[in-house]
Order: sequence, then C-alpha cells, then structure tokens
Amino acid sequence: MTTPMRIGKFAGRAAASMTSSPSWRQYPLGVSVFLIAPLCLLLGFGFVYPVGRLLGQSFFAPEFGLDNYRRLLETPLYLRVLARTVFVALAVMSASLVLGYPVALAMARLRRGLSNLVMACVLLPLWTSALVRSYAWIVILQRRGLVNDVLLASGVISQPIKLIYTEGAVILAMTHVLVPFMILPVFGAIRAIQPELVQAARNLGAGKTTVFAKVLLPLSLPGIFAGCLMTFILALGFYVTPALVGGPSSLLMATLIGQQTTETLDWGFAGALSTVLLCVTLLIVLLFRKALSYNRGISNVA
Amino acid sequence: MSIVPVHLCRSNNQAISAPRAHLNFATCLLAFSIAAANPSFADQQIVIATTGGTWERQMREHFFDPFTKETGIKVVTVSGTGTENVARVKAMVATGKIEWDLYQAGEIQAASDLHRTLNEDMTAFCADYLADKDLLPDACNRSGVLSGYGTTLMVYNTESFPKGGPSNWRDFFDVERYPGPRALPNFNDPWRVMAAALLADGVEPKVLFPLDVDRALKKLNDLRPHVGLWWKTGDQSTQGFRTGEYVIGQIWQTRAAALKQEGQPLAWRQDQAFLVGDRWALIKNAPNRDNAIRFLRYFLDHPDAQAKVCEALVCTPARNSAAMAMGEAARAMVPTSPEVFDRLIKPDAEWINANTQLLIERWNEWNQQ
Repeated sequence: MTTPMRIGKFAGRAAASMTSSPSWRQYPLGVSVFLIAPLCLLLGFGFVYPVGRLLGQSFFAPEFGLDNYRRLLETPLYLRVLARTVFVALAVMSASLVLGYPVALAMARLRRGLSNLVMACVLLPLWTSALVRSYAWIVILQRRGLVNDVLLASGVISQPIKLIYTEGAVILAMTHVLVPFMILPVFGAIRAIQPELVQAARNLGAGKTTVFAKVLLPLSLPGIFAGCLMTFILALGFYVTPALVGGPSSLLMATLIGQQTTETLDWGFAGALSTVLLCVTLLIVLLFRKALSYNRGISNVA
Repeated sequence: MSIVPVHLCRSNNQAISAPRAHLNFATCLLAFSIAAANPSFADQQIVIATTGGTWERQMREHFFDPFTKETGIKVVTVSGTGTENVARVKAMVATGKIEWDLYQAGEIQAASDLHRTLNEDMTAFCADYLADKDLLPDACNRSGVLSGYGTTLMVYNTESFPKGGPSNWRDFFDVERYPGPRALPNFNDPWRVMAAALLADGVEPKVLFPLDVDRALKKLNDLRPHVGLWWKTGDQSTQGFRTGEYVIGQIWQTRAAALKQEGQPLAWRQDQAFLVGDRWALIKNAPNRDNAIRFLRYFLDHPDAQAKVCEALVCTPARNSAAMAMGEAARAMVPTSPEVFDRLIKPDAEWINANTQLLIERWNEWNQQ
C-alpha cells in the first residue's frame, strides 16, 4: 500500500535534487547491489578495514587507554606541527584558487580546440610523478639554481639567497602539484553556467565586473567549493614534496605519521596522530560547509 | 603442482557450451593467479625483500642467479625501502601471514627487542661458524648474518680547499677556517648528526654513547645557518655536490665513491666515520625456511662473490678473505685495514634502540625552533 507513495516521494526528491533522469531506479535492487558490491568490497577491505585497525590501535597499543592521546596533547611539538599543517594546506588551497580560477575561466571561454589544448597542458603535469616535480623545484630554487643565477647575474643580489628548504618553497611546490585539482571542478562549474544568463545580465546594463561578481562567481561556487575541498584535503596529507623541498624544518603531519609507522614502529601513536588529523580535517570541512552554505549557490553541492 | 586439473584449462573442447567454457576459463585464470600469488604452489624458492636498485642487481648477478643455478631454488625478490620492509615484516608477523623469508635489517635495528620477536634466533645456525676466524667478529649472531658494512663519512670539495681540507668533525663545524655550505642527512634516525656534533665539541669517541643530546643540539645551533643541504635521499647528496650546494658534507661512502668515479673533485676522511652494517634476518615461520638457511650458508661460503658485490657497492664484506679478494682500488676506498677500522665510530645499538622515540622527538623539536 505504501509502495506508490514511497516511489512518489523518491521521484519527487530525485527531481528536486537533480535534473538528469534517475537512472538508478531503472534497475532492480538486486542488480544495483550487485553492481556496487565490487567497489564497496574493495573500499571495505582495502581502505575501511586497515584504516579502522590503525585508528583502533591508538586506543589499544601498547595497552588500553588514552596514553597515546595524552602524549600527543602534552608535547607542544605535535600540536604545533598540526597547526602548521593546517596553515600550509590553507595557503596551498588559496594559492591554487587564485592561480586556478582565471585558467578555468579562460578555458571555459576559449574555442573548443584551444580549450582542449589548455586542458591538456593542465592535465599533463598530473601524469608526472610528484617526486619528479619536487626535484624540478629543487633545480630551480637551489643555491646555484635558475632563480639565484638570474638574480645574481642581473645584480639584484650579491649572495645567493635561500629559496629552497623554506615554507614558501613547500607551498609553491605543493600548489604546483595541486592546482589541476582546483581548475577541473571550477572549469566544470563555469561550463555549466548557461551563456544566456550572462547575456541577460549584460542586456540589463551590467558591466563586466558586475557580471562576474553577481553571476559568474556565485554560480561557480559549487566548483570552487569542490576544488577547495580537494586541494585542502590532499594538501593535508602531503608527504614527499615537503620532505624534499622543505628540509627538516618544515615538518608536516604526514611526515610525523611516517616516522612513527616505519621508524619507531610505534603504530599506536601513529594511529593517534592519524585520528587527530582525520578529526581536524572533518571538523574544518564541516565549518567550511557551514560558512559557505549561507550562500545559495552552495546548495547545489551534495 | 597446480591444484586445478589441467584438462579443465583446455578450451578447445567442442562439447562444452559457451557459458561453461567461460566458466572454465575463469576457473583457470583464478587458478593461475592463485598459483602466482601463493608461493607454496611453485617449485622450490625463497622470497627475499630487497631495497632494489644497484644493490639488488649486484646481488642477483653474484648471489641469486648462481645460487639458483647450483641448487635449483628460485630467488623471488620484493623491493621497498629498508624501513618499509621492516614495517611490512611487523605487519606480516602480527597477522600471521608470512610471505617473505629473508630481508636485510640495519645493524642497529637488528639489535632491538622487536627484531628478536619478528625473526628467528640464529644462534644454532651460527654455531657452525664459531671457529671460522676468517669471518669478521660478530658477523654471525642471534640477530642474523652480516651482509656487509658501510660508512657515513665526511667529504669535501678539494677545489674549495686547495690548501688542504677539513680533517675531522671539529673542522666540519669550524666555519671560519673552512667556510662554505655544509650538507647533513635529514633522516628519522638523527644519531649520526648528533654524534658528529659531539665529536666536534670535544667528546672522546670512547664516551660518545650515551649521546648527550642537549649538548649536541646546542652545538648544532651554531652550524644550522651554514647547512646548505639537508639530504633525504642518496641522490640528493650526490646532486648537491655536483651543483655546489655544499662543499663539506656528511654523506654515504657509496655515494662518495660514485662521485669520485665520475671525476668530481672530492676527497673523504675515514677517520671517525660512522660504521653501520646490514644483517640478513630470517623471519619467524618463514614459508621456505630450509631454503633460506641454504641461501645464508651459500652467502657465507662464497667470499669471491662477496668481494664482487662489495667492489661494486663500496662496502666492507663479512669475510676477511673477501676483503683481500677485492681489487686494489676498491679496497683502498673502504675501511678494511684494522688500523682504520679501529678509528671508526661504532654506534651503541642498544642505547639508540632504547631511545629512538626520544631522539626523534628532540630532533623534531630542534628543527621547529
């Protein structure tokens, strides 16, 4: 008796939340389950189970209790590194947005062929390993690297300045790696904006800046949000780049977790560090969403 | 030795309908993948975790392949970084699914309690070698079989110091007399850096351990602005020398030898270099334990092959006779003579193991200042 009602409710919600056809309803439940089972199994065994075990160990290794967390909170080093990690991730995210948004906007406006070319240029670096790109930055920033050579030759400086092994170098190199993750969702969002909206705004007398501020930017917010989220979360877990470009003084959480898993083999404490990083990440993402959800544009983001 | 009858894998059977054929094909695929993944289906073999690269190539040429030829036992290698391998062994023992037989542990790691809980006690195996005077002292002990020694030493650029370079760690820290950027390792086991600082500060090698961490870090404070390269990988240390990132550095002997061979103006000091060995460890309940034991015997009984490997990798082999068999040029590069050997700094493994957490925490803190 309730079946038609339930379908009606589902259909209503589906229609409200998406404009495309609700294809998931075209398959019987069994088939749907069968189709998603491989991914669920893979995630379950390959991700949820081991991560759960590691996080669980933080309460049980070496013995049951909160000792690992007490140590983490009592040593100023760990909280300082956590704060630095969040700061670096935010800086990388902001830099990616500032550098990535104009590229995405240009890509959306270009002719198809040119736009594909730019797309290829954006995607190409993704195929090179982070290790290679880190070394490339070392070559550019080192004491006798490209930048110092140019500055020395032009007489701007008399002694090579320290560029590598600084926090700035870490942020720069990480931004380079992560900027495609900002460009792609923003590009998608801008592409989806109907050109008629821009034309209408222009017809009604809006200038270019107003069109951008009142039409393009608000409508591309879902893309911005997705891009920021991806770059921020990826930046929180960066390991190779900061280790190579940042030197010992730029410790980030991933490096600390690596030390505890492979060097001291204290997996209980590694689990505690991971748990705290995970919780802080989730918290920040929630705050982020809350702050942005005041804007209507964001309601499109699931 | 496949568990699936071979006739099932013949797909040209006309009587089988199409779906059945597919099913059979899938079964065969599955069987093959199981056979490939599970060592126990294969013929005689051993699984050795390596650190890849040149080391593995040399070992394959001089040990693995000749061993297979002589005994018919296949050597399967799995590669990862040294510390990753230990972490994986720990996970294997914890879950009771041992897939490897042998791996190499650093000498310091090999002296830890954890190492003993993960690996078999080799005392019984070593009993056969007690009378063998050709082996270096302690080359075979309960933790495993010594594979070879390497050093971390001081190198400098001879072009930067035409009148003679620094000769010890005191000079390394003396930036007035020997100006120029320095290179130091940026690892998660900072004892070498701290030990160098203490030696520079006038601590006698005999009383170096236990390390006075406070004093070492205080000494390092002065040097910090002059460190041009904190290297994380061996490649960084070689590349840094080529491009002049540093003129005096603490790097691995292997890398120093490579730089010299390519004609770089590099000289090194073996005096007070840090000696660290690698040990073959046999994991408890290893699937091919008997074959692994055979391999270890083969390894110890072939000084010529040891000499070849150490010639290529610049290491000190476990046997004196192997050291003698090395070429003149190669022998000059490694500490083989007793006089030089005595002047090396040998880490106090027990103290380092007991203080790993403390060392890392103090090191991290110092770096954040």
